[in-house]
Amino acid sequence: MASVSEMYDVTWEEMRDKLRKWREDNHRNSEQIVDVGEELINEHASKLGDDIWIIYEQVMIAALDCSRDDLAWVSSPSDMSSSSEQGTCLQELKRQFPGSQRVKRLAGMRLEALEKYEDASKQYDSILQDDPTNTAARKRKISILKAQGKSAEAIRELNEYLEQFVGDQEAWHELSELYINEHDYGKAAFCLEELMMTNPHNHLYCEQYAEVKYTQGGLENLELSRKYFAQALKLNNRNMRALFGLYMSASHIAASPKVNATVKKANVKYATWATNQINRAYQLAGRGTKENKCSVKAVEEMLESITMS
Amino acid sequence: MAPELLLDSNIRLWVVLPIVFITFLVGVIRHYVSILLQSDKKLTLEQVSDSQVLIRSRILRENGKYIPKQSFLMRKFYFNNQEDGFLKNTKRKVVPPSPMTDPSMLTDMMKGNVTNVLPMILIGGWINWTFSGFVTTKVPFPLTLRFKPMLQQGIELLSLDASWVSSASWYFLNVFGLRSMYSLILGQDNGADQSRIMQEQMSGAAMAMPADTNKAFKAEWEALELTDHQWALEGVEEELMSRELDLDGMFSKELPTGIF
Repeated sequence: MASVSEMYDVTWEEMRDKLRKWREDNHRNSEQIVDVGEELINEHASKLGDDIWIIYEQVMIAALDCSRDDLAWVSSPSDMSSSSEQGTCLQELKRQFPGSQRVKRLAGMRLEALEKYEDASKQYDSILQDDPTNTAARKRKISILKAQGKSAEAIRELNEYLEQFVGDQEAWHELSELYINEHDYGKAAFCLEELMMTNPHNHLYCEQYAEVKYTQGGLENLELSRKYFAQALKLNNRNMRALFGLYMSASHIAASPKVNATVKKANVKYATWATNQINRAYQLAGRGTKENKCSVKAVEEMLESITMS
Repeated sequence: MAPELLLDSNIRLWVVLPIVFITFLVGVIRHYVSILLQSDKKLTLEQVSDSQVLIRSRILRENGKYIPKQSFLMRKFYFNNQEDGFLKNTKRKVVPPSPMTDPSMLTDMMKGNVTNVLPMILIGGWINWTFSGFVTTKVPFPLTLRFKPMLQQGIELLSLDASWVSSASWYFLNVFGLRSMYSLILGQDNGADQSRIMQEQMSGAAMAMPADTNKAFKAEWEALELTDHQWALEGVEEELMSRELDLDGMFSKELPTGIF
């Protein structure tokens, strides 16, 4: 099987830098991380120096995601390297940092992967006894509840967690997702508002918020959703979802019987503008080739069918 | 113009450069010593939680205009309400950590003094004693006569321009000047950064110390009372539709393939 460096013709430094970029951006492309990281660990361990520990952590989490037990914790001598036997990620980390809480958390994650949820929970509790401010252990406990399908408890625990740590954006996003799954859109909107306040330039939060408001329904919420779709578009002109959302919310408001004439006129104007932009985008995508002419036509017909006069 | 003095090049070799080296090495040693002597600062859950609440309140003030008016008012009410607003009613048990009562603060202060101030005084004095009696260098800008006794320690010449300084002042110049070198070599936040430490001592009261939590809450409450909601999204549709969408480069033929 060809190695990553052979397939893409890259040096070990580039692989290491790529891993760092994935780490910083918090990507979850676990299979790629395992491929690149495994090769780095097996072939270039000596050259990495102290970087290797954080790479072990990153690769171990990715390996748990891909069910690569051999890499994550079971020891097995590798055939590729002729030198001494390969420790595995968790073993190496335990050897280097005995008594570290970060490593304990990784051991807990391994137990979670084995579905030994009680043992994992006990492990996290012991971390929290030592250090009550450790957020990672708390969040893992909540993920255990989520994995077991106990979403109501997970929501409750997450709320308690957020009462203590109000600034944790990852947690707010997770809570909004949980609420959306429970169809509690009002509370999901609250969580997304927190996220919008802390990240005012992130068009994705605006768009998600607008979608939640649109799902809630009702004239006020539709107006709000139209505004936030517009904001998302303003922040990122290429957000097609927001463009469609703008079109849908504007046309729904225009079609509603409760609005007066001026509001209806304004919304029809918005909807037509959105239609033009969608057409433009599809034509750009198609560039006039034969196959795409059909899809452009389909979009036009769809838009015409939704548009009220 | 002041007479130009020609200094012996031996001065350059045996005075200027050694002082630079000494200052630099002492700084590096100070950095590692401070790492060894560092004590762990354990934060309590309450402190972490409080600092985050303060951040949230501040963000509400600054970015509240991006959320709908109703939501903003809801949050403002939660924080500032007369009966049970969080900022109004939460009183933390305040124990002002004075140096006398809190032993860990005392040792921290002592360690800080020992690592930073003491070496500076000792080495400054030693350099003054060793490299005395001659002029070391000239500062590039003219100075008044007032600076003479300060900068020309050990040189008893009345007619000498105040720009010519002794080795002691060259040492102090180095202590402050090598700060950027330390950041280059030891990374940010290094223990050899003298002036940063002095700045911290001066602004220590402004940091998030536990004694100030109540005051911080009160300050936030007042600031939040004053904030109004100016919805940033009032005319967003008009702004958006005033021009066509910028769809350039949206559909490029180059798709990213694989990992690299």
